[in-house]
Amino acid sequence: MIRSSISRPLLAAALAIACAGPGCYVGVDDPEATASDSLTAGPTQGESAGSDSAGSSDSDSDSGGDSDGDPGVELEPAPASLRLLLSRHYRNAVGDLLGEAAAAQVTPPGDTPINGFDAVGASQLALSDSSVDAYEASARAAAAVGVADTERIAAYLGCTPTGPDDAACHESFIRNFGRLAWRRALTTDELSRYVEVAQTTALDTGDFYVGVENAIATLLQSPHFLYMVDIGVADPDDPSRRTLTGTELATRLSFFLNDTTPPAWLIDAAEDGMLDSAEGIREAAAVLLEDPRAKDALDNYFSEVLQLRKLDSLAKDPAVWPQWSPQLAQAMRQETLLLLQDIIWQRDADFREILDAPYTFANQLTGPLYGLTPPGDGVWTEGFVKTPLPVESKRGGLLGQGALMSVLSHISSTSPTLRGKFVRETILCESIPAPPGDVATVIPPAGEAAPTMRERLEQHLSDPICAGCHQAMDPIGFGLENYDGIGMFRTEENGATIDTASQVSGTPFDGARELGAALREQRAVSVCVIRNLFRHGVGHIETSGELPTLFALEETFAERGYHLQDLLIELVANPAFRMVGTPE
Amino acid sequence: MKRFTLNRRTMLRGFLGGGAIALALPPLEAMLNGNGDAYADGEPLPRRFGTWFFGNGVALENPFDPNNHKLLWTPSGQGPDYTLSPQLMPLADLKEYVSVISNLEVRAKHPEVRGHHTGVSGFFSGFPYIKLDPMGANYSSKFGGPSIDQVAAALIGQETFLPSIQLRISKRIVAGEGPTLNYLSHKGPDQPLQPIHNPQEAFEKIFNGFVPQDDPTKPLRLNALDAVAEDVKRLQMRVGQNDRQRLDAHLASIEQIQKQIDAIAPECAAPAMPGETNTDQDGKEPLGPVNKVMADLLVLAFQCDITRVASFQYTGSVGYTVFHTLGQSQGHHDLSHDANANAQVDAATVETVDAFAYLLRRLKETPEGDGNLLDNSCLLLSSDVASGLRHTDYNQPCIVAGRGGGALTHPGIHHDAQSANASDVLLSCVKTVAPEITQVGGGNGLSNTPLSAIMA
Repeated sequence: MIRSSISRPLLAAALAIACAGPGCYVGVDDPEATASDSLTAGPTQGESAGSDSAGSSDSDSDSGGDSDGDPGVELEPAPASLRLLLSRHYRNAVGDLLGEAAAAQVTPPGDTPINGFDAVGASQLALSDSSVDAYEASARAAAAVGVADTERIAAYLGCTPTGPDDAACHESFIRNFGRLAWRRALTTDELSRYVEVAQTTALDTGDFYVGVENAIATLLQSPHFLYMVDIGVADPDDPSRRTLTGTELATRLSFFLNDTTPPAWLIDAAEDGMLDSAEGIREAAAVLLEDPRAKDALDNYFSEVLQLRKLDSLAKDPAVWPQWSPQLAQAMRQETLLLLQDIIWQRDADFREILDAPYTFANQLTGPLYGLTPPGDGVWTEGFVKTPLPVESKRGGLLGQGALMSVLSHISSTSPTLRGKFVRETILCESIPAPPGDVATVIPPAGEAAPTMRERLEQHLSDPICAGCHQAMDPIGFGLENYDGIGMFRTEENGATIDTASQVSGTPFDGARELGAALREQRAVSVCVIRNLFRHGVGHIETSGELPTLFALEETFAERGYHLQDLLIELVANPAFRMVGTPE
Repeated sequence: MKRFTLNRRTMLRGFLGGGAIALALPPLEAMLNGNGDAYADGEPLPRRFGTWFFGNGVALENPFDPNNHKLLWTPSGQGPDYTLSPQLMPLADLKEYVSVISNLEVRAKHPEVRGHHTGVSGFFSGFPYIKLDPMGANYSSKFGGPSIDQVAAALIGQETFLPSIQLRISKRIVAGEGPTLNYLSHKGPDQPLQPIHNPQEAFEKIFNGFVPQDDPTKPLRLNALDAVAEDVKRLQMRVGQNDRQRLDAHLASIEQIQKQIDAIAPECAAPAMPGETNTDQDGKEPLGPVNKVMADLLVLAFQCDITRVASFQYTGSVGYTVFHTLGQSQGHHDLSHDANANAQVDAATVETVDAFAYLLRRLKETPEGDGNLLDNSCLLLSSDVASGLRHTDYNQPCIVAGRGGGALTHPGIHHDAQSANASDVLLSCVKTVAPEITQVGGGNGLSNTPLSAIMA
């Protein structure tokens, strides 16, 4: 497959999508519009603390792509910043270090998303009294349980303590455990400080192991455990760019691909220089992807990005949807994850199939809801079975599934706006500005004049203040109006036939499968797959200095047939993943 | 160990003749002066300040007339003889403690006025929200400065075990638009404070954080935190300016937790652990029961002087709380944008005011000195818009309740602020607990003029 190198207009358009200030460009769905779907006439700079979107982007974007993972594209990495472990990172790390019983004791603070990503919040926000309190309580509880695991502790010790005053044996423990907990070797200075903690405690209590316990509790409260610390080493050719050290990269890799702390072999390998080359990184990443936790990590990632976590507490109006239940919500979440897993792991297929796969995984809750027939002569059970989707249901891919259709609806009605906004933001990585203040938001009631949601919203769209942005969102949702607020198929609303013929970026579509088919051909969509993964993996929204590199990576993604596992490996080997800028 | 800098005199007040005695209702009469309005040593009784928030504004007089911005909320008449609107009737028995302020203008505005974001950050901090809109991602925002409860906590928080506490009732919160809509309390733009929504957790935080003086783990824990603080300081030397500031906050919190570990428990009869956990039943939130337990806990925390500053997020900004006990089935935010649902929004407002009234009533019922806890408190209520339909931050509902230790006008009044800076109210409120403060907010939201009409 031959693809041209990144065209300047396309890149410029991607940069121009920064949509700020009141009003959107109205002609978004004009067939004449460029493939970029630019929402604004020009780039407007937000005062983002963590993102420089006004930087120059006039880099030469010839895509060479050499074996060292350098695509030959100008890269200006975003400034480094400390990134707090996410709640799930923290829990899994404690489990790996001290065992599941210890992990069961911890209650780390919850995550605070910014721009839709927990990792972005983790890179910007500071700790509070409550968080330090929670980390202290968690560390102490985990240490108390962990120290009781004598076999595990003995392995860390590597010595037999002669008594509470055995400082050398404490040092051995701290060196071994600390290196895994902090994902790097402790300095001499750090070692002596922590030996003192252990010794003071052991001598005060007369118990060597109370000293060990307090050392564990302290190491787990240290900023070197709680934050991913990315300092890097200055690039000799360009000191504004810094390459992550081996152990820093091992940390980034492992938390990204496995949601947990790097295993001992990876820290060893990093110290031995394995991660100094793109080829070594690819090898390491391939091993991490073999770990079952890679699947869990991606499940967690998609639950976050696709808003599936909302299903845990999503309320629906029982008067409208008596079928709705927490069990149904969880079945929908499971269905979506099963499709993703099938495409990514079982079949290692073209990832864009998530948008229009003509099959799903159904069980006794979702199968009947969709009106599906169980495959073969089977009956529905709790278990999910791969089931073809009839063409007349117009279903296909994630956008025809109950999970997204429910999450992207109101409590008693659908929301074409929310559905369209999701496609713009999460599938296409376009910005939709916030609704302005001081604007009346009256949507006409359902009635004879406007029985369907589409008709009601179309009236609403006659207001030019609203229309600019809503034209970018609502028509996408109009084409999904066959799926009600919990994803059931319908053809009528309030006695009127629903018109679901619509268009996206000038391409006509009707229903989820056609929408997915139209979207998957847009390069913005496959670039957006990369942008979202990158945001989660590095903890910031990509800057204009990083975007060209990600565009170049998309060419590799495309050339090789859009396999996500392969993309993950190429992403972590990419300079954009391995480098940081000078901290601000 | 000499690390403890909490006001020991405050904490030791419960001790008489060297031995501890359990007090049902601190402070003991015996510890007060003859007038009952101060401690025997002349130090005034503590004053408390709380913010109280509900999302999405209130109902309109006529939702179908786009030019009519009048709120059903607004009382009639001015001054102390005002008449409560039906929406405010749950406050009838508390009216002498309630001042309603109309026609405030949120001047702390980002040039891009953004519904809800402007109102909540601008009103509760006096700073315009900070826009976080990197290209290609969804919009978010942060508070532009400390929320007013944290301004107060910075001034008086060191007097108590907890500098402040953050409580949340409804869990139907919008987390996807950044910390501004998610949280009510912010120490600064990068330090939002997560509230507690589970009453059992609130109980733990307020009453079970104290470590017995002879607890053998106390020195170990302090020692551990000393080592961690050392790590933080050394790390600060290796990172950029932004991270240094974040680590400053980390250090300050380490120091605070060390103080708490070393603090002496006040002598106060702790209640039993509440049974309420704020767990949904069949997808329905237990709003009423949780509100009562949380308010009770807050009253006790004030009474026992465990904290003097609180924020209370009843429902979220853009929150989709379902007021199911009113027979409603839709989320509040959706209703607030539906002209046909004005009556439902109205009913939800009354229920919300009733929840606020419960807290005020409990404070009023709690004696302190020769008066009650509400006499020594200032509670500031507002929302994030005036009404969801008009989406405007002008004339957001605003109540200042309590006597603020005598600093606030009494009986309460209805005051037409005639477009005064909303931050004037913030300054008035902080002055009740820290009279020395001279200004709050920033940019156009800056105020150095308290709203004289509500001051005594």
